[in-house]
Amino acid sequence: MSAEAMVFLFGVIVGAALLFVKVFFVILISDLEVDYINPIELCNKLNQFVLPEMFVHAFLSFIFLISGQWIATAWNLPLVAYNANKVMNGKHMFDATEIFRTLGQHKKECFIKLGFYLLSFFYYLYRMILALVNDS
Amino acid sequence: MAYPQPTTPTMRPAPAQAPHPGQGFRPQQQHPGQQQQQYPSRPGTPGQQGGPPGGVPPMGYRPPVNGGHPGQNFAPRPGMNGPGPRPPHPQDPNSPMYQQQMRRPSAGGASLPPSPSMRPPMPIGSQMQNGSPLQRPPPLGGAQRAQSPMMRPAMVQPGSPGMGRPFQSPQIQARPPPQQFMGQGQNTAPGSPAMNPMGYNAGGPPPNGSIGHPGQNQSQPPTPKMPFQQQQQQHPSQPPLQQQQQQQPQFQDPGVPALGPPTPVAGGSHKPKRMYPTAQPEAFQENAPSAYDSGFNGGFQPAPVPGAPAAQGFGGNQMPSGGQQGSQFFVPGEKPSPNFGQAVPAYQQGLQPLAGQPLQPNVNQLTNQMGDMNVGSGYGFNNAQGGASLSTVALMGVAPKVLDLESPPPTINLPANSSITQSPHANCDPSYKRSTLNAIPNDSNLLKKSRLPFGLVITPYRSVKEGDEPVPVVTDAIIARCRRCRTYINPFVKFVEGGQRWKCNMCFTLNEGKFVPSSFDYDTQTQQPVDRWQRKELNHAVVEYIAPTEYMVRPPQPLVYLFVIDVSYPAIQCGMVATAATTILESLDRIPNDEGRTKIGIITVDSSIHFYNLNNESGEPKMLVVSDLEDPFLPQPEDLLCNLSECRPTLEALLNRMNDMFKDTQNVGNALGPALQSAYKLVSPIGGKILCLQASLPNLEAGALKMREDPKLLGTSKESTLLQSASSFYKTLAIDCSKSQVCVDMFLFGSQYSDVATLSCLPRFTGGNTFFYPAFTAAKSEDALKFAHELAEFVSQRIALEAVMRVRASKGLRMSAFYGNFFVRSTDLLSLPNVPRDQSYSIEVSYEDNLHIPIVCFQTALLHTSSSGERRIRVLTLAIPVTTSLSDVYLSADQVAIATLLANKAVERGMNSKLDDARDALTNKCVDILGVYKTHMTASSSGATPNLQICDNLKLLPLLTLGMLKHVALRGGSQIPSDLRSYAMHLFSTLPSQCLIPYIHPNFYSLHNMPENCGTIGQSGIEMPTAMNLSSERLERGGLFMLEDSQNIFLWIGRDAVPQLCLDLFGVPNYESIRGGKTTLPTLESDFNQRVNLIVAKTREMRRSSYYPQLYVIKEDGDPALRLWFLSHLIEDRAEPVMSYHQYLGHLKDKVNSGSF
Repeated sequence: MSAEAMVFLFGVIVGAALLFVKVFFVILISDLEVDYINPIELCNKLNQFVLPEMFVHAFLSFIFLISGQWIATAWNLPLVAYNANKVMNGKHMFDATEIFRTLGQHKKECFIKLGFYLLSFFYYLYRMILALVNDS
Repeated sequence: MAYPQPTTPTMRPAPAQAPHPGQGFRPQQQHPGQQQQQYPSRPGTPGQQGGPPGGVPPMGYRPPVNGGHPGQNFAPRPGMNGPGPRPPHPQDPNSPMYQQQMRRPSAGGASLPPSPSMRPPMPIGSQMQNGSPLQRPPPLGGAQRAQSPMMRPAMVQPGSPGMGRPFQSPQIQARPPPQQFMGQGQNTAPGSPAMNPMGYNAGGPPPNGSIGHPGQNQSQPPTPKMPFQQQQQQHPSQPPLQQQQQQQPQFQDPGVPALGPPTPVAGGSHKPKRMYPTAQPEAFQENAPSAYDSGFNGGFQPAPVPGAPAAQGFGGNQMPSGGQQGSQFFVPGEKPSPNFGQAVPAYQQGLQPLAGQPLQPNVNQLTNQMGDMNVGSGYGFNNAQGGASLSTVALMGVAPKVLDLESPPPTINLPANSSITQSPHANCDPSYKRSTLNAIPNDSNLLKKSRLPFGLVITPYRSVKEGDEPVPVVTDAIIARCRRCRTYINPFVKFVEGGQRWKCNMCFTLNEGKFVPSSFDYDTQTQQPVDRWQRKELNHAVVEYIAPTEYMVRPPQPLVYLFVIDVSYPAIQCGMVATAATTILESLDRIPNDEGRTKIGIITVDSSIHFYNLNNESGEPKMLVVSDLEDPFLPQPEDLLCNLSECRPTLEALLNRMNDMFKDTQNVGNALGPALQSAYKLVSPIGGKILCLQASLPNLEAGALKMREDPKLLGTSKESTLLQSASSFYKTLAIDCSKSQVCVDMFLFGSQYSDVATLSCLPRFTGGNTFFYPAFTAAKSEDALKFAHELAEFVSQRIALEAVMRVRASKGLRMSAFYGNFFVRSTDLLSLPNVPRDQSYSIEVSYEDNLHIPIVCFQTALLHTSSSGERRIRVLTLAIPVTTSLSDVYLSADQVAIATLLANKAVERGMNSKLDDARDALTNKCVDILGVYKTHMTASSSGATPNLQICDNLKLLPLLTLGMLKHVALRGGSQIPSDLRSYAMHLFSTLPSQCLIPYIHPNFYSLHNMPENCGTIGQSGIEMPTAMNLSSERLERGGLFMLEDSQNIFLWIGRDAVPQLCLDLFGVPNYESIRGGKTTLPTLESDFNQRVNLIVAKTREMRRSSYYPQLYVIKEDGDPALRLWFLSHLIEDRAEPVMSYHQYLGHLKDKVNSGSF
């Protein structure tokens, strides 16, 4: 198995994990909307995933970078920058007191990220298969 | 007494005060001992209480307690809690005993206590005989309460409708005794003739001849109405009118009479009483048109003859009805001016109470979507005569009529019979809940088109002052709610199928079975049938239920007060600790402690946390010091919070000694964060109140704050960062507190920066309150007085605990944004660990769907534990008609509610994004409203116009907007410290409209030439002068002026003031010897001094709030900072960054003319 295949295999796994995290976010946020969960619990649950998710995503991008996968790096870079910006402004966490005011935004962001991870996942899968095929 | 400027003899006493008759401040000289109200009114020294006059050190100031009458101290203070709250059970009007008393007569038809007496004494037998125990007697109920004196004569002559009533109209007397249609008779009898003026004029037999059931007649209003009838005598040729007037308090069903003798249809139309089997639509669709044809047309359209006297008659009627119903429903003779434009609303108002004949057809029209300006529609009636444009006023070139700020909101013109009991209290009083629109657009496009903000301003737990009506309490634990949407039963539901089911007015579900408790009709305890129409929840829009255990997750909590007092060097230095300790000590008797369950605790904090064991044998408080700030723990598991009654001596010993214990401290550290954490640990098992008195910036460990005020940021777009919380610690703690039903209140004393923005986070999310005393020093007796008063008032308030609030609205509407101090726990549920008195919440409403219903209801339910340890639900129901016409929407917009909502939104905006945005949003909203009005409501729909026009009820909106733009909370410029701004913003989002409006637009009086009767005690308490426009043109060199904004009172004195005035008012020989600044007026012998003192005292008393406005004397050539501060309140003037009122109007006009709407 070539290095490229390995990198994309890693990408596929991480991408799937990120996808799951986002689905989890979306489910919880919809729960909040229909009042199955209270905002405090929601924030406690979601906030523990926020930084790990960003870190994992940044790490994946870094792997792509050092392995010279320019397209994949370029694809991921904007999101890394966006996340970094949020963290620096201290706005990455869910705030239980503001959650209902910002719910729309959060939801939109979640869906966009979900779409992004989905596309990434398939791209990584495709590249992995391509690499494996090339290998053999 | 006139100083240099002679009194204008024609000047009249301030009509502005009219709206406060209920609060009539009465100085205590008049009622010694009756009222333990506020210090200002302590006998003889209305203005002076503050200044311990005889050189008593300010620290020793004693707050207003009823020393020496321990028993009395627990009694609810009239000003604070109103009669509602309980301890003396026997006196409690709501106690079961009393209830029974009230009920029995009505059920048995026996003797008649005052209010229920108005109820027709209908024998049970007669009900049964009719086969319908549900039959509803005439809708008198509470309606007549106010009028009862007038009604009483009627009671004396039961059974003889005509007897002893010389002025009785012949028609009524001639009424043949009815046999079968008694249900109808009850309700319609008197109404019918009125409704059918035509028929009567035509001389035909009374269409409703069958009505007057003798048994009912005796209680029918015709009799009581004698006063009106006398008035009416001049129009003997108009019997219908007479009757109409007589009917008026009854809210007759207009539909019925028109239909003539009782037919099935007529029966059907008689919704409230007999209509159960008939569905609502029938009433609307079948009866209404005929009512329209005969009643409405006959009465109004073709015949100018009856019309004219009608107007007169209504005028006469209006006053009583207004008085009876409270200001909400009818503006008593707002403008009886000959002006046609104004006459129309007056006419309409008069019309409304009569049963709103035109409205009934209306609903039809609305549902038919027949277009927006039809004669038939309620407002259309108005429109037909050009109503919309008639009340248009031009804004430019005239001084705004500031007196109208106090006038009541536009009437809510509900269709007739929309409430099942016709009680005058069926709709919510604006002081509890008001809507920005009193006629709601039927779809979101219309609302968008109007650009008016749509929301509610709710003050659910407002205090009940002396003279206010207490909230009725349903004590029998029968709580009927809709099974689907959980709406509480209210006066706007409909009973169907003989009363076996009711139709929810929110979701239109039919509720049966357990949702119509049988106990509505039968009291199992007394084994007596009861009358469901007497039930308070069907007669009152504001009602409180005693909640059964299903509404509790745990037994009702006791009150817990935990004081966290800063004892670091700055706090001791400014005298806060001493004042606070004395105040708390003196207020111990006033802390609500009905059942002896109230707990109290004290924590002091500097660089370590001191707990006090108050419950030991020795009677000596034991101090426990925790200096581990990283992980603060409770030094002992119990006794840190102790029962107020049990450990009173220990507590007193501690408070007496508190200042001495720390007086030599040099410790400047303050560990507020850890102290709050331990306080939270201490209180959280029970829930309760943490009162935090903080005089320095917390600087140790968790929650440490830095001095972050940077003058360079002020006035820039970064300024809002200073208004946001600096540390997430307080927000996180607030969330934890909210979860455990702990409320934190902040009393902040700043000689320097105190970071109000961050510290007020705690109260904001826990339903608390923030008080801020900039540059506090107890050496100034005025400062000490203000703080002591506010703290004492605050701890003695009867608050609500562990509360949740939910607002439900009719299908199609949704609460979309919430403003105020609470935590939003789910999309529509607000969690309030404490509900302080008189805190206001604003809620924005949005559309989910178009409305196809004639009336929209908003129901606020506040589930709480009262301070007497009862679980209660307070329900406020507000019903508002739906309209299809833009002009109705405009004509019914409530500028005060709009201003309140906009203020809240602006504050939100200012904190979260930029102050500039907030200001622009305000101006743009104003431009939008003016623009839409111009385009759609006036003749000049497009193109430039020379003037700005707006309907009469919105004419002060630009002024209020300007007031907000110039207010400390939102004003631009780099002069305003962020602490002051944060505090003003806090007030913007918590003050009820009654205080917020003067806070935005202060009241300004001229005192030197006020009429003789101002400042004396008149019929409605102390007479106030007439408010003037806020413009410095009004200032005169030798004059004395007073300006008050509900937080501060300024006395401005011109430099040419004559020595006599100085002598009379201040007791000093001339202007030069007057001392400016914070002060207390001396009490002198002179008449003028006493009058001014009374006016000041009344100003401090007249609103529902615990704030104590401080008095400043401003000399014309005195301290420039003070002078500028004073002048900044004159908002019609030009003040540098912002324009004058007229410039602002010009600016608005330019934008209106250039925009398209």
